[in-house]
Amino acid sequence: MKKILPLLVYLVINGCQTPPRPNEKTKASLNETEKFITSDEASPNEEYVMITTAVNLPLYVNHDEKAFKEWGEKKGVRTSILGPSEWDVPAQASTIEQVIPGKPAGLLINGTDPGIAQVIRKAVDAGIPTIVYDSEIPNSGRHCFIGSDWYEMGKLQGDRMAKIINEHGKVACLGILGMENMEAGFKGFQDVLKRFPKIEFLGKYDDKANVETAAHITADLLAANPDLAGIAGFDSNSGPGIAISVKESGKAGKIKITTVDAEPEHLALVKEGVIDYLVGQKRELFTWLGAQFLYDMRHKTLPLSANDAKAGVIPIPNTVITGTIEIDKSNVDEFIRKK
Amino acid sequence: MLRLQNISKSFSGVKALQNVSLLFKSGEVHALCGENGAGKTTLMNIISGNIAADQGQLFWNEKEVKIGSVLESQSIGISIVHQEKSLVDSLSISENIYPVNQPINRAGLIDHYALSCKTKKLLAELQVGNLSPSMIVGRLSSPQKSMVEIAKALAKNPKLLILDEPTASITHSEAEVVFTIIRKLKEKGVSIIYISHRMSEIQQIADTVSVLKDGKYQGTVAGKTPVSDIVRMMVGRELLSAVYHSDAGKPIRLKIENISGKGFNDISFSLYKGEILGFAGLLGSGRTEMARAIFGDTKINNGTMFLNGKKYNPHHPFNAIDAGIAYLPDDRKTEGLFLEKSVAENIISTGLKHGFYKEKQIFNKAENLKEQLRIRTPTVKQLVRKLSGGNQQKVVLAKWMALKPELLIVNEPTLGVDVGAKIEIYKILKNLTAQMKSVLLISSELTELLLLSDRIAVMYNGRLKMILDKSEATEEKIAAFALGIN
Amino acid sequence: MEIKERLRDRIFSLGASIILLCIIMALVYPNKFPTLENFSQIMLNLSIDTIVAVGMMILMIGGMFDLSVGSIVAFAGGMAGYLMYYYDVNFIIAIIAALTGSTMIGFINGWLIAKIGINPMIQTLAMMGIVRGFALMLSGAGIQNFPYDFIYIGQSKLAGLQAPVWYMLAIVFVFGFLVNNTVFFRRYYFIGGNEKAARLSGINVKKMKIWGFVISALLAGIAGLLLSSRLGAALSTSGQGLELRVITAVILGGASLAGGVGKIWGAFLGVLFMALINNLLIISRVSGYWQEVILGAILIIAVGIDQLLLKRLDK
Repeated sequence: MKKILPLLVYLVINGCQTPPRPNEKTKASLNETEKFITSDEASPNEEYVMITTAVNLPLYVNHDEKAFKEWGEKKGVRTSILGPSEWDVPAQASTIEQVIPGKPAGLLINGTDPGIAQVIRKAVDAGIPTIVYDSEIPNSGRHCFIGSDWYEMGKLQGDRMAKIINEHGKVACLGILGMENMEAGFKGFQDVLKRFPKIEFLGKYDDKANVETAAHITADLLAANPDLAGIAGFDSNSGPGIAISVKESGKAGKIKITTVDAEPEHLALVKEGVIDYLVGQKRELFTWLGAQFLYDMRHKTLPLSANDAKAGVIPIPNTVITGTIEIDKSNVDEFIRKK
Repeated sequence: MLRLQNISKSFSGVKALQNVSLLFKSGEVHALCGENGAGKTTLMNIISGNIAADQGQLFWNEKEVKIGSVLESQSIGISIVHQEKSLVDSLSISENIYPVNQPINRAGLIDHYALSCKTKKLLAELQVGNLSPSMIVGRLSSPQKSMVEIAKALAKNPKLLILDEPTASITHSEAEVVFTIIRKLKEKGVSIIYISHRMSEIQQIADTVSVLKDGKYQGTVAGKTPVSDIVRMMVGRELLSAVYHSDAGKPIRLKIENISGKGFNDISFSLYKGEILGFAGLLGSGRTEMARAIFGDTKINNGTMFLNGKKYNPHHPFNAIDAGIAYLPDDRKTEGLFLEKSVAENIISTGLKHGFYKEKQIFNKAENLKEQLRIRTPTVKQLVRKLSGGNQQKVVLAKWMALKPELLIVNEPTLGVDVGAKIEIYKILKNLTAQMKSVLLISSELTELLLLSDRIAVMYNGRLKMILDKSEATEEKIAAFALGIN
Repeated sequence: MEIKERLRDRIFSLGASIILLCIIMALVYPNKFPTLENFSQIMLNLSIDTIVAVGMMILMIGGMFDLSVGSIVAFAGGMAGYLMYYYDVNFIIAIIAALTGSTMIGFINGWLIAKIGINPMIQTLAMMGIVRGFALMLSGAGIQNFPYDFIYIGQSKLAGLQAPVWYMLAIVFVFGFLVNNTVFFRRYYFIGGNEKAARLSGINVKKMKIWGFVISALLAGIAGLLLSSRLGAALSTSGQGLELRVITAVILGGASLAGGVGKIWGAFLGVLFMALINNLLIISRVSGYWQEVILGAILIIAVGIDQLLLKRLDK
């Protein structure tokens, strides 16, 4: 026992490994020179993994995941989509952590919450080409970000809202409170409205990305404010939820609705005249371009130096903003026809 | 009508029944006697299809039948009133009586009107017409529940009705109603198998009596056979009827002055060291409520109590326990025992004060008490659920004996306990008084009160009517006070 | 007889299933599953759930459960993060404040349930919403950039395993010992076994109930702090759905909704079993559509086999 104790203490002290301080450079876990894994040959076995949360969300399934799978089939490489079926950020983080040891060819991560920065950094440190899409994750060290500019999307909604309510009246907005991209959207929306003194902003409400909740909140808003002029939605389910209650109250068309996304239900509501304006995202581009960038990075498609991995050069764009799609009654048919 | 041949059944190696052969004739009241654990309930479960026998055959009107489920036994005309209540508290009387075979209207839906009519008729037959079919069973008293239980069995128009201790939780007058019903059914040609621990009842209504002991058939005798003979068959020893001598001393253990609370009013008495003070009264006379208040389980609104001359004012049972008072509740299954825990754990349940839980010490302590109280179990690790009623009651006693209380309040200590265990429990109580401990005995069995008590207090309607000395107490006197006639 | 008793123990059968599962996975995925990195990752992922499960096990032994633990996980991280980020509070004080807040929530739960008699399900369900609201207010869009000292707690490593794993093991050991060997914790078995009889045996059931909720909330608070330290961020959405996951794991580990049974080690094994299945789904790249189906099916099979085994033994 007496002999074991010092040994144990020695082990504990030596086995103790502290996390890197923020200003410390993390030492690459690869061989000293290469900052990320590259490969000269493309193999059908190499695997690109997309990790999101709420994998079954129709918005993700119909756009992000569909485009990603199509890309994989066209390219002849394996694609996998992983993540919890509910909106569970820590579970997404743990999925990323459990995928890293398998060293996939590339990681495409939905930037659901800034809290996953640490685990993205782990993936980057492990030398896996890693791209964040949809929302930016600050301090994650990701190789590239592809997404929409939510502040801009908020501004677009604000501009249109002001126009269609003739620059005066009460306005509210719905979305998921606490999410960085939504908050940016809210801010863009409010920044525009501030320019119009006759518009009264009632506040932002949390619909938890749930159609029923959105409908409840809208019904309550309508009851409390009979003179409500317009409502703006910021998540995929806000628009349909708002539309239900507005239709039920018989005020369809009178109350102006602007919202995000262009799912078939949104389009139908525009066609019906319930929703006035949609700001759509080019979500297919997030994952298609993302996957392509990962592939290019791994296979040195466009080398910028003799060895980018050694030189520490990331041979793909740092940030890509894909822009928006604006839809109203004038062009909605083109989108309905596409589906 | 029903003949059993060489029925055997064992549970995890223990033989519950061994080669039992019995004949039940049609139109007779056939009493089945035996100590707890003799195998009566197992036998009834086999007849009603609840469990399957390992060996043996059943003949129904001399044709061999296989009874695989309760439904099958019902379809040939066997109905059982269980000792364990089979009623759902949250449903109404009529819903309980007709859990499956409800009358149906043309649309195939439950015909509530017909259901209510049929129930009403049944209840009237049982002379409990004051109950309405829509009453919720959970609100009924336990004798009323027993009636509903019987009605439920009768609703199936049985040819053979098994009554497993139907009078265990009801009073004498209510038992009379049950007997009237039994006689009526008998006239209609229905056979009845009657299980009871009350010998006087068996004398009253049984035509024949069969006795089981340790899973073996002991014989069948006529209903009029003297009780002592039947008991001898059951236990193999004579019922102890010696007159106990009194241990009562002079110093006062507990002095109660004008206490009132929910269900009892203005009660005063003194309990001496070494004394057994009996409490007689009907259900609802306030005895249990008073006992619970003394034990600190319910509040006392007025009055004072002195224990060993010191003021005593409990707020919670643990105050009472600290003061040296123990309480054995009347319903051991719901209030006294942890059925899914071992004998040892049950015994230690009163000693969870502080410190470490030392399994070895606990086992030793339990083992000692097991020997002392003669609890019949292979090991103290056995689950209490698996013990017979008498042994379960001894476990409840053991858990209090472990604390060596000064004053033991026992509420119906021998309810549903067989004769053998009963005598042992009496001995345990007298042993306590020999050590100058005091006992407050609440019992609905007058013979028990008269046998054990030094004095008998009679309660009626929440008030203490009278305290009788042993010398002057008779069954008639007690009954008169208990009924409020005096 | 001894072996039979052992087979009857859920810990034994669950342990056997875990070993079996590990062997199968090691054979099917020899490169991915039996690696040190994967193992340490599994342990890290189950540590948060296990700490919460220990508290839940204690409650469930006593015949209670707490639905608000998931929200408390988010609340504790949010509160510490809020104090450190916006008010530059020393990390120790922030931790103490967060744990005090968590215990207060537990105390309110316990007090209202034990003294006022509110149904535990309704009470903790309501508390789940209230605390989630507070967590949302505190952490808003998520708080990052914690002081280094705070990060240190959850991200340092010892012998290749990240700190939360060690905290979790310490908590399992300490509570495993206490629940087995102290009279205080043993009382929960009696309360869960028969509450009325426990009261009449002199156990202060109300006080014990309050303590149960306090302990469970305290452990959830610790789990929340570790989670935010480990992620380097306080998320308002963390711990969502955790309560049901933990209750499932605890039941899998031998507790019963009726109360009176269970062991702390069972809680650990229950969580471990679920974490292994989760790892299996990720390693085998099962798509999200099938995850829930497979998870549900495996749970039914696991519990079903257990019941069959018990029936066999009872014969």
